[in-house]
Amino acid sequence: MSTLTQNDIEIATRAADNFTRLYYSTYDSPTRVDDIPNFYRANSALTWNGQPFEGIEGVRELMGGIPTTKHEVQSFDCHPIPGSQPPSLLVTVSGIVTHGKGPAGNPANTPRHAVDGHPRVFSQTFILAPDPNAPPTKSGEVAKYYITADALRFVG
Amino acid sequence: MIDLWKEWVGRRWNAEARFLNLERMNEDEWLKRHRLLSPASPDAKKEPQVVFKIASKLKPEVETISLAHNNLVSGAMMTTLAHYLPKLANLSLEGNRLSGWKELDNISGRRGRLSQLRELVLVGNPIRELEYKNNRAQQYKSEIARRFPSLEILDGEPIARVGFDAPALSTSTSTRPHNMLSTFAFQMQPSLIAGVDGPMVSNFLGRYFPLYDQQRGALLDVYAPDATFSFSANTAIPPRARIEGIHVSKEFPNQRKLEWAPWLSGGLGGSRNLGRMTGSLQKVTQSLHLGGEQAVKAMADLPATRHDITGAPEKFCVDAFPIYQGEKPNLLVTVHGQFTELPSEGIRSFDRSFVLAVAPEGSRARQNDWQVMILSDQLVIRAYSSFEAWRPGPMRVQAGDLLPTPALLEVLSAVPKPQRYLMQDLILRTRLNLQYAEDCLKNNDWDLERAMANFEQVKANLPADAFLPENAFMS
Repeated sequence: MSTLTQNDIEIATRAADNFTRLYYSTYDSPTRVDDIPNFYRANSALTWNGQPFEGIEGVRELMGGIPTTKHEVQSFDCHPIPGSQPPSLLVTVSGIVTHGKGPAGNPANTPRHAVDGHPRVFSQTFILAPDPNAPPTKSGEVAKYYITADALRFVG
Repeated sequence: MIDLWKEWVGRRWNAEARFLNLERMNEDEWLKRHRLLSPASPDAKKEPQVVFKIASKLKPEVETISLAHNNLVSGAMMTTLAHYLPKLANLSLEGNRLSGWKELDNISGRRGRLSQLRELVLVGNPIRELEYKNNRAQQYKSEIARRFPSLEILDGEPIARVGFDAPALSTSTSTRPHNMLSTFAFQMQPSLIAGVDGPMVSNFLGRYFPLYDQQRGALLDVYAPDATFSFSANTAIPPRARIEGIHVSKEFPNQRKLEWAPWLSGGLGGSRNLGRMTGSLQKVTQSLHLGGEQAVKAMADLPATRHDITGAPEKFCVDAFPIYQGEKPNLLVTVHGQFTELPSEGIRSFDRSFVLAVAPEGSRARQNDWQVMILSDQLVIRAYSSFEAWRPGPMRVQAGDLLPTPALLEVLSAVPKPQRYLMQDLILRTRLNLQYAEDCLKNNDWDLERAMANFEQVKANLPADAFLPENAFMS
C-alpha cells in the first residue's frame, strides 16, 4: 500500500509548477551564471548531454559554457518518491530550447531544410530533495528544496 | 478625463505601503461628484483597464491591491489586472460575490496569470463560504493553491509548500563581465553510466523493455509495492523533425496513422501534463498510479509497443547515476529512445525516468531474479525525433558555425578553465590561433564582447600566420 498522502501529491504538484517556472526563467536570464547555482548544493550531481558536473562550482562552469537560451516547457510531471519524509520529488520536463540567436542568427544563404539554429527538443529530469541544513524561512514552508540530481539531454 | 482618474487613483494610493486601496468603489463619493463610473459597476467597460494602467505606472511598484466589498459577481473586471500588474504580490477580494472557479480564470488561467501572488483573500465570497459550509474546506484550499502555485497565504492562513533558494527578482550584482559564449564549450557525449555497476543498468533495461512489449503484467514483480507511475504525452510538433520532413518522408510511411487520443485519455487516467491540468484536481490525482498493481493496470491500457533496445543501440541513450536520499543510495536511470506503436506501425519517441532501489532480500523483485526494484517511473511520449540528436561530437549553435577538431581540442585542453572556454569560443568565431586569441582576450580583460569588437577593428591588418589552418576546424 502506498504511504503517500493526497497532501504529499498536492504539495509536490505545486512545487513542480513553481520550480519549472522559476528554474527556466532564471536559466534564460542574463544573470544565470550567478543565480542558477543557488538551486544546487555541494553534493548535487548533474549531467549535461552526458558530460558530468558536480556541485555548485560544476553548475557554474556549465552555465558559463553554453550560449544564451530560451526554453519553452511543453509538459512536466512530478512524483513524490516513496521512502523519506518530507519526500524527494522526481520531476521530468519536456520542451524545446533555442540557443544563441535561433534561426534568425543563421547566415542568409542557409538552405531551408538545415536544422542548425532551430530549437532542439530537450528532456530534463530532476530529483529535488529537502535541504536538512536550510530551515524553512517563511511560514507554511514545509522545507527548503534543492536539486540533488539533474540529467539533461537534447533529444530532437 | 484621464487626469481625473489619475487624481482619484492618487487618493487611493499609499506609496509608503505600496498599497492601492480599491475597495468599495461603488460607494465612492468623489467618483460620483466627478461623474466617473465606478470600475466595479456592472456597466463599467474601459474603466477597470484605465485604472490598472494608471496603477502600472505608479512608483514604487504596486505590491498590494484591495478590491474588497465591490459587489463583484464575476471576474470580468480583472481581465487586464495580470497584464498591467504582473508582479502583484497581495490581493484582497474580500466580501464580494464570486461564486465559481471560472471567475478566477482572468488571474489564474491562460488568459492572465498573477504568477507572483503571495497572498490572497477570498473571505466572504460564496466560492469560499459554500465550500466551508459543505465540509469541502480542504478541496477549496487545494484548488486555490493549484491555481496560484506561488501563493503563500490564503485567507490569512499559510499554505503548506516547499521553497527554493533562487531569487524571484535577481539582485545579483557581479563585477565580473557576464561573458556569454556563442558556441558550446562542451560536446554531446555518449550514454553516461557512472557510479554504478554497468551491467546492472543494461540488464535491467534489457529485461524491462521486452516484457513491456510482450508481457506487461509480468512487470508487477519489479515495481515496489508503493511505487509511482505516470505518463505524459507531449503532443507538440518537434521543430527540427518538422524541417527535415520526417513525418512525410517515405522512410516513415505510417506516421500519419498515429493518433494521440489513446495516450491523452487512455491508461486509466490519461496523460499527466501538470502544466495543462487546469481542469479539476481529480485529474491530477487519477493520472498518478500508486503501487505496482495500479501501475501495471494503467500500462495495460496503453497502446502496444515494440522497442528494439538491443538490436539498434545507437537509437537509445541512457544516463544513469546514484542519488542519495537519506542513508541509502538509489539509482536514477533516464532512457531516451523510440518504439513502434501497434497496430499502426508508426514510430514514437520517448523519454523514461526511473528511480531504482536495490531489491531487498525476500522482496518480490528479488524472488523473481530482478536486482533492482522500481520506486518511481515517469514516461514521456513525443512525436518522433531522430536519434541523431544525441550523436556524440561537437554541436553547432548557428548554421555555418565552425566546429573544433579533436586535435584543436587537445591543444586547448592545456589551457586552464575558464580561460579555455573563452579562448575556444573566440577561436571558433575568428579562426585566430591560440597565441593571438589569448593576447586578444588578455588585452580586453577577458571580456569576450570587447575582444570580438577589438578583433573586428584590427583583423584587416593581421598577418596570415595569426590564423589557424583550415584543417583545425570541421565545418
